[in-house]
Formats: sequence, structure tokens, C-alpha cells
Amino acid sequence: MSLIKATVRFLHAWRHPDEIAREVETELRFHIEMRARANVDGGMNPDEAQRAALRSFGDFRQFKTECCEISRSLPFDSTPLRMGLHIAIASLAGAAALWAANTPHKSPISVLWQLGFIAVLTCLFSVARRNKRPHRQ
Amino acid sequence: MEKSKAGLLQGTLDMLILKTLSLGALHGYGIGQRIAQISDDALKIEEGSLYPGLYRLERRGWIESEWDVSDNNQRAKFYKLTRAGRKQLIVEEQNWERLAGATMKALRAS
Repeated sequence: MSLIKATVRFLHAWRHPDEIAREVETELRFHIEMRARANVDGGMNPDEAQRAALRSFGDFRQFKTECCEISRSLPFDSTPLRMGLHIAIASLAGAAALWAANTPHKSPISVLWQLGFIAVLTCLFSVARRNKRPHRQ
Repeated sequence: MEKSKAGLLQGTLDMLILKTLSLGALHGYGIGQRIAQISDDALKIEEGSLYPGLYRLERRGWIESEWDVSDNNQRAKFYKLTRAGRKQLIVEEQNWERLAGATMKALRAS
């Protein structure tokens, strides 16, 4: 699968998370149903077969969540991108601080603008850092 | 005699999925069945754990999926190996043989 195809799939997963969740659920339920049928063919009664199928499948909710998360994860290692973003925001914040310190005509409004700019950059930086998740395989 | 059932490392499961799909397109349940069959039921996995593995492999571009109708006329998602996946399978097999060989050598050393 090309990077373009992977990116289209990733964007689709982000835009339609409910659709992805439904698809994952359909897929997992199909598996359980097939297993239950095999159990019935093996001599179990339907209720027992269904229970055994659920047991051998494991934690349905956990696997569904994992599959949905993987669908929504970037199709490439995002660490360099995140680092680049952090550096860019930190550089912009530094530049804004220098600009604020070196502006000759300091009207109260321009100082407020500069402080606001620095605050926004600082917030962006904090949010970017907070959203950093441990890398999953 | 009852067989001892081995747990699977993630990388091993990925390799087995790739190997299974090298024989043809299958849905998740079929892949699980085939793995049990080719390993003579010796490799024990929680059936659901197959799916995060499949999604990871698809995200890496080693397999691709398509919704189709199964033998019993139900909608099912079928997976198949991509060209990149076929190459990866060769790499994984070589790595596995190297690792298994080294482990055997270590175990036989007196």
C-alpha cells in the first residue's frame, strides 16, 4: 500500500470514526459467529457454543478499541514530525519574546498583542507536549 | 499425550499471519484456523489478539483488506498479502531461522 493510500485511509478513519468502529465490530462479531457455529458442529448446544466462542475470543471491547486506535494512528512514525513541531513553536515563542523586548514604541496595545502572542505559542507548545503518546508498535 | 501449548510473541504472530496469507486471501477467522492447522494446534493465541495484529500489518502496508461475501453468504473482511508483505515475509523467515539456529546452538553447547 502506497503512502498516499495509507494517508487516505488514515484521514478517512479520522473523519468517520463511527464507521470504522462499526466495521471493526462487524468483523469481530463475524469471527465469534463463525467460532460459535464450529462449536455447534462440534456437538455443543447453541448457548454453550456462543459462550465458548466469546471466551476463546478474549476481551472483545479491548480488541475493538485497539483496532480502532490503530486505524486512527498515522501511517508513519510521527516522532520526527512532533519534534519538528515543538522546535518550530519554541523558536516562534523565542522570536516573539525578542521582538517584544526590542520594539522601540511600546504602546499598551502592542505590548498586550505581544504578550498574547507569546501566551498562545506557550499554550500550543504545552498542548503538543501533553498529546505526545507513548509509541505503539 | 497432551501437547504443550506455547504463547506467541507479537513478532511471531505477525510472521505467521504473513505466512498464512502467502497461501491465499482469507478473513480473520480463516487466518486463525489456518494458523492452528499449520502449527498442528500447538500455538495457542487468544483469537481476538489476531485482529490488532492484522490492523498493524495493514497499516504498515504488508497486507491489504477488502470486504466481500464469505462461503456462508455473510459480509466478511478478507486480507491478502501485498508485494511489500511478501518481501517482509522473506526477511522475517530469514531472521527467524537465524534466531532459532543460534538458540539451538546455545542449547546444545555443553
